[in-house]
Amino acid sequence: MRTFVLLGFRIRQEVLEWSGAWWFLATLVVQAVIGPLIGLFVWSAVYPDDPTIARYYVAIILVTLMTESFEQHTFSERIYDGTISHELLRPQPVVIGVLGANLAIRAWLTFLGAPVVLLTGLSLGTGFDWRSVLVSLPAVVLAAALVFLLTFLLSMTAFWTQRVHAVVGFGHSLIFLFGGTAAPVGFLPDLWRQVAELSPFYAMSGLPAELAAYGGSVWSALALQLFWLVVLLAAVGLLWRAGVRRYTAVGS
Amino acid sequence: MTAIEVAGLSMSFRAPVRKPGLRAAFGSLVRREYREVQALDDISFAIAPGEVVGFIGPNGAGKTTTMKILSGILHPTGGDVRVLESVPWQRRAGFLKRIAFVRGSQPVGGSQELTVMDSLEYQRLLYDVPRADFGDTLKVLEELLRLTPLLERQLRALSLGERMRVGLALALIYRPEVLFLDEPTIGLDVTAAGQIREFAADYVSQTGATVLLTSHYMADVASLCPRLILIDRGRVEYDGPLAELSARLSPYKLVRITARGGPAPDVGEVVESSEGMWVLRVPRDEVAQTTARLLQSLEVVDLAVEEPPLEKVIDRAYREGLR
Repeated sequence: MRTFVLLGFRIRQEVLEWSGAWWFLATLVVQAVIGPLIGLFVWSAVYPDDPTIARYYVAIILVTLMTESFEQHTFSERIYDGTISHELLRPQPVVIGVLGANLAIRAWLTFLGAPVVLLTGLSLGTGFDWRSVLVSLPAVVLAAALVFLLTFLLSMTAFWTQRVHAVVGFGHSLIFLFGGTAAPVGFLPDLWRQVAELSPFYAMSGLPAELAAYGGSVWSALALQLFWLVVLLAAVGLLWRAGVRRYTAVGS
Repeated sequence: MTAIEVAGLSMSFRAPVRKPGLRAAFGSLVRREYREVQALDDISFAIAPGEVVGFIGPNGAGKTTTMKILSGILHPTGGDVRVLESVPWQRRAGFLKRIAFVRGSQPVGGSQELTVMDSLEYQRLLYDVPRADFGDTLKVLEELLRLTPLLERQLRALSLGERMRVGLALALIYRPEVLFLDEPTIGLDVTAAGQIREFAADYVSQTGATVLLTSHYMADVASLCPRLILIDRGRVEYDGPLAELSARLSPYKLVRITARGGPAPDVGEVVESSEGMWVLRVPRDEVAQTTARLLQSLEVVDLAVEEPPLEKVIDRAYREGLR
């Protein structure tokens, strides 16, 4: 209970903190939607008569906005400048601060990006089956958790290297490529498609977007996401312990 | 019963090294070389509850490393440490609620857009401070730190002195039993530094907290710490009363003199000189006599008698031998 109270307070803090930088958040929204928009334009040109392409990419834009993670900025920079020490000395898990910042930024991105999603959807005459949208919500939540865990995991390499942005950038490129943003996973060559569909990257982006756009088997989707959730949780736990051991042996 | 107990504490780092040049750079890709840096070497001391101890030494002596180990940020490579009977680097919540580590270089962490009151409220939640105690302590801190005008200000908009006052308030709102103060007056003007010193003295007398303080300013140490621990190159060189150490380390004063024309003064040792200005190192008991001679022999524009900077005194003591 105390953890949730602290997390709630932290989210409130971070929402307030970011409220002073709405213009910067607007640039993040642009960065987040630019990839899906390119995919939308390219694949709409390739399949001009397929209305599901627009629906899928509108869903991808929304999922991307709701799952964006920036731990390479909010967390890794604290390792570099040594202010992570303040967090280590607080009687609460450090992840509460990281998670609070993550959720606050996502809330802002979703709020500021909603008009983009609406405009894109309306301009392309996109319609959704609201039952599919509702059914996809648990998958969106799990996708958000997966993106956070992957970005947090990669951001922890800051304990060892100064090149964390390159590491996280590589991870995000994989999400772009295999997650269904560069192309819907179904459009990939057969072998690539099979690999992508089992990868965590698809579970982070394309899977919830497909559920919202086309419907489908929720349970198999959730099973895949839960599997990767457990794997990433374990990896985060191991890397966190190793990272803190290194930080507390070397310092900032 | 001790608040802080340190026995045989050692800390070493492996620092990567390589020779200059392209060849060495490529070589280091295959075979990296490291040098062992001994930051702390077999340090031992104990501090009783309620004691206020100054922890001094030149830059790189190991003061901040020790503070970080005692507060739980760093894990030492050897030795035994107990703070309030806990092993600090295990960072158990119960232990963290009983200590505070305030760094002059980073007095306030967390969200900078928040107001001071929001940040204090967050500390209340974080450290489980009952509302009644929070109100009482806040009243005391408001008075001692002149905090009232700052409560509705955002952290990012505070001046350096204000940040330090707020940093202390955030650290003390949960009434820690052990306080680690690392250079609390660094960068502050004379008035602000004096206020921080006065506050620390008042806080200690009111709460009986145990304090370990590092500072390069003799004034901080002199006004707060009856006992000093002096370290250099990771070793404890002195542990005892301040008065005894001052007498041993500062048998000299500096006389700074500006004069029109004339030759260089031939009294004392000239430690610094530029056009028309000299700094002389003079034994304490000869200051009055030397000053009189200078006033007689030169056309003096300005004259000041200063305590030698603590760092220089320590440095000289090491070069000439402390023991």
